[in-house]
Amino acid sequence: MLENAWLIPLFPLLSFLLLLFFGKQWKEMSSHVGIGFTGVSFLLSVIVLFTQMANGSGGAEMVWLTIGQLEFRFGVVVTPLNALMLVIVSLVSFLVHIYSKGYMHSDERLTTFYSYLGLFTFAMLALVISPNLLQLYIFWELVGVGSFLLIGFYFYKEEAKAAAKKAFIMTRIGDVGLLIGMILLFWQVGSLEFNDIFTAVGGGEVPEGLLTLIAILIFVGAVGKSGQFPLHTWLPDAMEGPTPVSALIHAATMVAAGVYLVAALFPVFEASPAAMTVVAVVGGFTAIFAATIGLVQTDIKRVLAYSTVSQLGYMMMALGAAGYVAGVFHLMTHAFFKALLFLAAGSVIHAVHNQNIEKMGGLWTKMRITGPVFLIGTLAISGVPLFSGFFSKDEILLATWYDGRYGLFIIGLVAAFFTAFYMFRLFFMVFTGEHRSEVTEVRESPRSMTIPMVVLAFLAAFSGYINTPWFGTFLGDWLAGDSEFLPFEHHEGPVWVMMAASLIAFAGIGLAYLIYYKKSLQRDFLSSHMPATYTLVFNKYFIDEFYQYTVEYAARAVGYLGSFIEKYIVEVIVAAVSGVTRAAGSLGSKLQSGQVQTYGAIAFIGLAILVFLVVWTGGYL
Amino acid sequence: MSGELFAFLVLALLAILGGILMLNLTKVIHMLLSLVLTFLAIAGLYVLLSAEFVAIAQVLIYSGAITIIMIFGIMLTRHNDTQKTKGNRTRNMVVGAGVVLFFFTMYFSINQVSFGDQATSLHVENTKQIGIELYSKYIIPFELMSVVLLVSLVGAIILAKRDDEEEAEQK
Amino acid sequence: MSAIPVNAYLLLALVLFCIGLFGALTKKNTVIVLISIELMLNAVNINLVAFSKYGINPGITGQIFSLFTITVAAAEAAVGLAILIALYRNRSTVQIDEMNTMKH
Repeated sequence: MLENAWLIPLFPLLSFLLLLFFGKQWKEMSSHVGIGFTGVSFLLSVIVLFTQMANGSGGAEMVWLTIGQLEFRFGVVVTPLNALMLVIVSLVSFLVHIYSKGYMHSDERLTTFYSYLGLFTFAMLALVISPNLLQLYIFWELVGVGSFLLIGFYFYKEEAKAAAKKAFIMTRIGDVGLLIGMILLFWQVGSLEFNDIFTAVGGGEVPEGLLTLIAILIFVGAVGKSGQFPLHTWLPDAMEGPTPVSALIHAATMVAAGVYLVAALFPVFEASPAAMTVVAVVGGFTAIFAATIGLVQTDIKRVLAYSTVSQLGYMMMALGAAGYVAGVFHLMTHAFFKALLFLAAGSVIHAVHNQNIEKMGGLWTKMRITGPVFLIGTLAISGVPLFSGFFSKDEILLATWYDGRYGLFIIGLVAAFFTAFYMFRLFFMVFTGEHRSEVTEVRESPRSMTIPMVVLAFLAAFSGYINTPWFGTFLGDWLAGDSEFLPFEHHEGPVWVMMAASLIAFAGIGLAYLIYYKKSLQRDFLSSHMPATYTLVFNKYFIDEFYQYTVEYAARAVGYLGSFIEKYIVEVIVAAVSGVTRAAGSLGSKLQSGQVQTYGAIAFIGLAILVFLVVWTGGYL
Repeated sequence: MSGELFAFLVLALLAILGGILMLNLTKVIHMLLSLVLTFLAIAGLYVLLSAEFVAIAQVLIYSGAITIIMIFGIMLTRHNDTQKTKGNRTRNMVVGAGVVLFFFTMYFSINQVSFGDQATSLHVENTKQIGIELYSKYIIPFELMSVVLLVSLVGAIILAKRDDEEEAEQK
Repeated sequence: MSAIPVNAYLLLALVLFCIGLFGALTKKNTVIVLISIELMLNAVNINLVAFSKYGINPGITGQIFSLFTITVAAAEAAVGLAILIALYRNRSTVQIDEMNTMKH
């Protein structure tokens, strides 16, 4: 079965192509086509997962190009990580396909939407089963294209257009880093196959300094894709896309591709302590940095977006602290609960036609399904004990603790506090209190939207139990056990870490409860006492403005210089060339008068000049 | 100054004069007649160069036949025709400049030419020498030339006649 | 023996050639253009005859060549005139600048 894993990404591609060619005729039917094909992919993924568990890793490869001694291959490889990613991606994609049927039902370009979804799912699935970096890079870029198309789906909205471009350019900056890293790696190792790379790195064939550089450059690619600081600004803007897209791409799958990349190349990073520190510090900083921004945003999707950035930082921090299992574990649980939160947010938006949380409230009684599932997601992300996020977050904190990075451990705790606080702030403001929406008749969403949410809620609640300190570390053993390149030791954590994490989560929830539910604390406490800080955080630390004033104006200055050169130097040269050509042409056409004497005169003058030159040079031309 | 040199100078001046007159006269018929002068002067030069037969042929063919044909041509077309405006002045200037350039280039080359001996036996039975050469060494070109003349004769008749037939058909 | 150098004949031939060339390229009347070409041929003939007397290999060949040239010139004049007559019948002009059918 594993050698036929290439079939999995093929079905979404088929869906994309069919919808591209026949979508116009099928109209409403197209959603069923998309759902059907993705469903097949999901089933195959599950089969692959179980086959992998039973029989170990495998795959299939073919030679693609032969250049001299070098062989470029393509194919599929199924490792535990890849199999897990396949299931996550195909499952979330499948659920989002179903959800979109309800969410997008009134959109005229439903067909286009489903074909884009198919393209993205194809690229993402192919990305996670790539056996070499080159193939990964191809689909890495293709995923970017899918993301671009879907963010800009409402292309008639200026913001969506700008956001799509921004996302594409910002991730592109990271991709350049990845590409350079790849080239350096190829130069050193002579192959882009993961196995060859790991063997070479494990054998110490790559010099220490260069290895650090390569790892950091590859990490830059991950930074761009996963929205880590300082390339995170595109991710909140990407919320201009349809909400199902936000759930699929900008919460569960594509942004996790950066984490996946670091995880897939984990042996490379592990060989360079400096690179590990960079990954951990950037991840930790992003985690707390984005969490503080999330505290004050009022747009429901933006809060979730910053939460995503923060959680991705968490995963990076875990990987940087050698917590391979912790990072991947959190990647999985996060995919479920964040997709759930986005879908639930989409359901709310669908009901009240608004994204501002100031204008929601009191929805708990009106949305009997959305409310509870949102609560489950919120509990999971906040790290409340017994929900999935609790276990994975605990795993990350343990990893940082054991790696000796106590600063990052503290940061992780603080970020967890912030997370719990802003998520419950969101929950209380949306679902409790009096009704503030302009829409009076709030209805629950159709079944096609609620069923995916319920499935995800189930997973968000219980998926944590596959790797717990109490019932066994099944996931960890499985993920790391198969590979000779991944040293894995499980940490029997001190109980107080778990206690502390729980307490922190409850503290955040309690504070949010006091401020936003009981109203016993003033809401504008922060904004009235520290207006400067509030402004700073509310405006996302002015990162966008900073880019505006540095990068953009620098680019604009270069552009002006270029346009000046273009206008006054290049165009003059072009005009001169074209003028001379035109003049010569018109002269030539004037000479074509049909008069023999003119022809004769020209021929004669040419001859005279030739003779003159011959005589002048003494017969030696 | 020897008699030969004097004769050369006079004949050369006459030849050039004829040419210049041809360029500057206005009536077509006058131009043609001035060229007759040039042709005759050239015939005189041939005599100086010990080429009596060629000189006679020159007088007969050029001054006689060709000029008469041309006069016929003028008479059959527009016998009172005069050279109208000078036409394209720019082109005349350019052509003139080219001619001058050509002239000085060639002049520069001619000046350096210097040959050794000169043939002295050419004037002795000149016509007989030519006849012997033509009928021995150059017999094939000579016969070919007769073919050329025949072809041009037939061709000229056909060219001049075809229009008549077409006109007759049209009528 | 002779005081006349070969250069003198060549120079004269050059002058006549240039006159003929200028006439052929600038005159408007077709008959004059034809006769100018004859003049150029004559200039060539002078050279041939001069070389037959003063050349590197003096001999009768030069004169024979000039005879051939004269013959060809006569044939050319005949054909040229025939073409001229035909053209005149068609377009009723002998002005060479009005004959521009080569343009089309």
